[in-house]
Amino acid sequence: MANLILAPIVGWFAKVGRAYRLTVEHAGALGILVWESIVAVVTLKVSFRDVLRQMHIMGVQSLPIVFVTASLAGIVTSQQGGYQLISSSPRYVLGTLVVQSVVLELGPLLTAIVLVGRIGARITAELGTMVVSEQIDAFKSLGRDPVAILAAPRIIAGIITMPLLVGFADVIGIYAGMLMADLDGGLGKETFFYGARLFWHSWDLFYGFSKSLVFGFVIPVISVHMGLRTRGGAEGVGLQTTQAVMFMILTILIIDALFPPLLLQ
Amino acid sequence: MISYQNIFKAFDIPVLTGVDLTVETGEMFALFGPSGTGKSVLLKTTLSLIVPDQGDVEVDGLSVYRGPASNLDTIRRKIGYVFQHAALFDSLNVYENVSMGLPEEELAVLRTAELSRRVWDALEIVNLEPREILSKLPSELSGGMKKRVGIARAIVGRPEILLWDEPTTGLDPINTAAVERLIQRLSKDLEVTSLLVTHDVEGGLHICDRVAMLHSGTLRFCGTPQEFKDSPDPVVQAFVHRDAAIAALDMAVV
Ligand SMILES: Nc1ncnc2c1ncn2[C@@H]1O[C@H](COP(=O)(O)OP(=O)(O)OP(=O)(O)O)[C@@H](O)[C@H]1O
Ligand SMILES: [Mg+2]
Repeated sequence: MANLILAPIVGWFAKVGRAYRLTVEHAGALGILVWESIVAVVTLKVSFRDVLRQMHIMGVQSLPIVFVTASLAGIVTSQQGGYQLISSSPRYVLGTLVVQSVVLELGPLLTAIVLVGRIGARITAELGTMVVSEQIDAFKSLGRDPVAILAAPRIIAGIITMPLLVGFADVIGIYAGMLMADLDGGLGKETFFYGARLFWHSWDLFYGFSKSLVFGFVIPVISVHMGLRTRGGAEGVGLQTTQAVMFMILTILIIDALFPPLLLQ
Repeated sequence: MISYQNIFKAFDIPVLTGVDLTVETGEMFALFGPSGTGKSVLLKTTLSLIVPDQGDVEVDGLSVYRGPASNLDTIRRKIGYVFQHAALFDSLNVYENVSMGLPEEELAVLRTAELSRRVWDALEIVNLEPREILSKLPSELSGGMKKRVGIARAIVGRPEILLWDEPTTGLDPINTAAVERLIQRLSKDLEVTSLLVTHDVEGGLHICDRVAMLHSGTLRFCGTPQEFKDSPDPVVQAFVHRDAAIAALDMAVV
């Protein structure tokens, strides 16, 4: 009888214990990775060319997809906002709504999610393949530091590229929203920006920028970390990549939820 | 000199359970053993590519696991490692792959002409035609060619010690002989220490000064090739004789 009650409880604690241990293990390994990357940067072991190459892959090559995502986000916000505002509020509030939604939330978050798919998954799969084909071991055996060669350039490139991409996404999103407001409800450009300016705080830009900086750091760090922990063959790479994507999206959503209580008071 | 001291390593199951082995400077040493007994794992502990659960490795008196971190850098510089599956960097071409075999400081000061000569020589030593393959990517090479590029990368930096993980598996007889001769020449002319993991028992017995056999996690045998052949141990005998048996089988088929 006692067993019947105790067993599930013990099982539950065991599960929590395992999850806790795994979390601590991941956190420790992530910390070490970040620390080693900082050391690699400070000791000038990171090649500038590698950083540029990664910035090209993450930034320039992401422009089309970010363009599409941001335009759609702007258009949808504008349409839905217009629909909700019909009778009660002054029409220029639509400008406020679109600009604030894009700058505070949609620009950084959607760009980050897109980059998880485009860059995060790619990094994990790439490094995972290098692990299972012993290329990481080969780097080490030749006295090279995989963190300096593979991890640090991706992390630096992420931190630099993400805010630029988010800035781009903001501009596109706002512009698309404005065009849509004009098309949909005949709201002129001047009225749209009048509304935007009326409730504008420069703090908002800083807020969006901070988010993008954090996301730009989180994506390469987690994807590199997961890639380097890959075990097994092709199957292991696939599994690890899926897990990395889940891990990145969850982390980004949680961080996104932490921002308002921390920075919007 | 490499000395493995009481190496233990378990993954899901125990793989190495107390391995002690010493390879003297300038020696050619062959390590045999059934597939999956941990030969590759043992080689990898030399460079801390796999960290043993217990035990230590010393290379020329420097401890890998009990000394300062700088020991590992020094040791990695001394040792060339030939990976079982070549482990070429697949985003780099053959030229770049082989140049990675040189230490960073050397690459920084080496002139382009000198560097190409070193890469060129290393490829010719392993019987590859540099002109044809220098600009190829690993994905464009055959398995045997990859393997030999991997050997070129390991020797281009003129290491004092070479760890060979099945360098001749998958090579045709001519290239097998070429690699065996290379191991012998490096050892005789340049006093390079070689630890060779191989399934080619006959070849290993032929070229090596001493041989050992890894079986169920420990060293089952360690001695000269002659002692190996004469060993009364049934496991060793099975290994020697299995080879003879296969030769006989081949003869019967022909
Ligand atoms: N990184 C690893 N993670 C988990 N298990 C491993 C790892 N590396 C090796 N093993 C296991 O250790 C055992 C020994 O592997 P190892 O590659 O050393 O065998 P081997 O003696 O080199 O065999 P072969 O002659 O086929 O190359 C195997 O059971 C293998 O599954
Ligand atoms: Mg092996």
